[in-house]
Amino acid sequence: MANENSSFQLLANGILKENPIFKLALSMCPAVGISTTVMNGLLLGTAVLFVQVFSSVTISALKNYIHPRIRIPTYTLTIATWVTVIDLSLAAFFPLAYAKMGIFVKIIVAFAIITMRLEMFACKEPVSDSFWDGLGMGLGFLVGMVVIGFVRELLGSGAILGYDVLGFKPLLFFILPSAGFFVVGLMMAFFNWIEVAYAQRKKG
Amino acid sequence: MKNILTIIFRLTVSCLIAGLIMGMTFVFTNKAKKANEHAREEKVVYSLLGYSKANPIPDSMGLHEIFRYVVSDGETQSIGYLLPSEGHGEAESFNFVRIDLDGKYLDSSSVTITGEKVKEQKDRDAAVQIALGAGKGIRFVDQTIVVTEGDGRFAYLLGGKFPGYKTHIAIMLALDPSYSILGLEVMEHEEDPGLGAEIEQDYFKNQFKLKPFEKIKSIEVVKTPLPSEYFDALEGRVDESAAVDIMKQYSDQDIYALTGATISSAAVSSGVRAMTKKFAYRLDTLDRVLNEQQIAVPF
Amino acid sequence: MIRTKKLIFLAAALFALGFSSLVQAAGLVTSTEFGAENEIIVSFSHSVDLGEAADPDRYTVFEEADPDIRLAITNIDVSSDGKRAVIAFADPLNTTQTHIVNTSGIGGVAKSSFSVSKSYLGYLFSILISALLINNFVFTKYLGLCVFFGTAKRKETAKGMGVVFTVVIVVACSMSWVLYNYVMKPFDLNYLQIVIFIGLTSLTVQAVDTVLRKVNPVMFKSFGVYLVLVIANCIIIAVPLLMASNEYNYFETFMLSLGAGGGFLLALYLMSSVSERLELAKIPPSFKGLPIAFIVAGQFAMAFLGFSGLQLF
Repeated sequence: MANENSSFQLLANGILKENPIFKLALSMCPAVGISTTVMNGLLLGTAVLFVQVFSSVTISALKNYIHPRIRIPTYTLTIATWVTVIDLSLAAFFPLAYAKMGIFVKIIVAFAIITMRLEMFACKEPVSDSFWDGLGMGLGFLVGMVVIGFVRELLGSGAILGYDVLGFKPLLFFILPSAGFFVVGLMMAFFNWIEVAYAQRKKG
Repeated sequence: MKNILTIIFRLTVSCLIAGLIMGMTFVFTNKAKKANEHAREEKVVYSLLGYSKANPIPDSMGLHEIFRYVVSDGETQSIGYLLPSEGHGEAESFNFVRIDLDGKYLDSSSVTITGEKVKEQKDRDAAVQIALGAGKGIRFVDQTIVVTEGDGRFAYLLGGKFPGYKTHIAIMLALDPSYSILGLEVMEHEEDPGLGAEIEQDYFKNQFKLKPFEKIKSIEVVKTPLPSEYFDALEGRVDESAAVDIMKQYSDQDIYALTGATISSAAVSSGVRAMTKKFAYRLDTLDRVLNEQQIAVPF
Repeated sequence: MIRTKKLIFLAAALFALGFSSLVQAAGLVTSTEFGAENEIIVSFSHSVDLGEAADPDRYTVFEEADPDIRLAITNIDVSSDGKRAVIAFADPLNTTQTHIVNTSGIGGVAKSSFSVSKSYLGYLFSILISALLINNFVFTKYLGLCVFFGTAKRKETAKGMGVVFTVVIVVACSMSWVLYNYVMKPFDLNYLQIVIFIGLTSLTVQAVDTVLRKVNPVMFKSFGVYLVLVIANCIIIAVPLLMASNEYNYFETFMLSLGAGGGFLLALYLMSSVSERLELAKIPPSFKGLPIAFIVAGQFAMAFLGFSGLQLF
């Protein structure tokens, strides 16, 4: 199955083919709610990356000791532990940035993507493969968040990472939270369109 | 049966390990968190006074903290102030002065606590409780920093929290000895970005600067646009002396509301109004009592 | 039989809560309330001497949190039968705070003290409305979206998911409140919030699953499949966290969780109604499915923006 793939392929899989936000359409809450700036996207993406990688590795390392009937509670416990760790660390070392993200770091524990990945991949594959897969998924999420954040920050406040790029604010609407829906929807449609056009070109 | 036992055993073990990991992280990060909080508060304090890393605070300036408590003794309540006592440098000692609700002096007790521990609420509360005895209930309300320059007072710094448009807004206010405003800093808020969040911008916050106490007691917001020369002065686009002149011209003017955020602007101005009035009343009462009772304080 | 008993109990509880601004002050005052923005209206239990009641010196009014700051009274209007007094103040009152009024020598009572606050029932109701409309968890807080888009395709699935979710969240939140107040706060275990709350939710889902299977298999067949999805819903962890950070008491927690579940149900229902219509509409091929759902949700979010700043009580 996927265990013959090289680490690079696993990585690329997470970022492109099975990108959590745009393709699998999972864990979209922060993509809509918090992606107002690139910085937010980077921070939350890093947090998710951390949780995904550590959970995948932990579960993969312990897969022989997990009783099948308590699979799900074990996954939940692992994820919750790592989320608490990253939450405490971010609160202590990056207090200003953490304050902007509010409750979203703690909510990582409820992301479907992480549990799903543990269930589908980590409990069957060796540790190193799980590591690359976790990294790929986490990076996919990070890339997705950063791209959305880029679009919203540029069009909403004319700045990137806080640096004023455009010198004026094109459309304040984009940093209003409700615009998150529009941006994500439009971007999904855009990716769909690219795929369809690419497939058509390949055919004819 | 054996199945269930193994399950329970493994689950317990995993819970314990998880708990251990989280506990260790907590202990490790807690210290950093507290240090960061104090550093941030210090930074805000210095910037409100007009100093920063590049322009550090001179040695002649002292920062003294007053902690206010509400003491309940059965049905009656009184206000208690935890103050540093004079000569507090080597022998760190504090005084707890109680004033009744009508502004009359009640009593004062000596509190032993180090200057470091007094910043932690738990240690502070415990020390005050010991000084007062077990019969009274105490509740910490807020703290004020009195800034002295040489022998005289330079500024008062107070924090306050009040309801905003969304949830609440927490600010730190700097007042000069005559209770006119030196500066304002927004610490926390949950207002809309681009609208209410603009209360963090200089052109709103700095409108409060140099407003005299008489104006603050009745300050309101007006929904007219900010004059451009005032805007430039507030944003620091003109040199300092010119900016101060312009701001003085507007010192009797109400606050110009933010576009699209009238309620947030009104919330901040009424919050500042309430905070300043209450603080002025309380500090005047405290000063009078300290004078009458000849209690020595380093400010 | 049991239903009537429950109704009576509920009515009694509401009655008691609703009249919480009722006073127990030596029977002098029957009720108090805030009037116009700088007024307090007091109703006496018996006629009081007009001169005494209109004398500002006999009243001391302050906000409960600031007992040393006395509010300045400008004048007092007493009704001719001596049973109602309107106290007017120099500055507008901060009605979010409880105010305490102390009287001396009015109506033959030497000293009396009573509190004035906005109705507690109103406050609870405002928490409910806030979680339901103003801070709707899906459209204003952007939580629970994965499950939202998954189940908002048909009205039946929407209703099923909404109801199951509301039940689970109310139960889980109540248990979280108990654990938070009696275990986490005394032992300073706040960093275990995430683990404990999600653990309680899983437990609740398991419990509801088992109970429903045994008690009502028919209902289980229609609703059971949604139970698994509840855990993946971000709202389920957000509500206990919100409860903990706001330090709500039990009634407030109950209202919050009810509002959150209700808001989710409302959002699902609205979305599914539109979804069913969308299936018949002409949509460009790249937009089919999720993209157009997102755009519709965005429009709902903008509409719900209109509720912000709503204050009912």
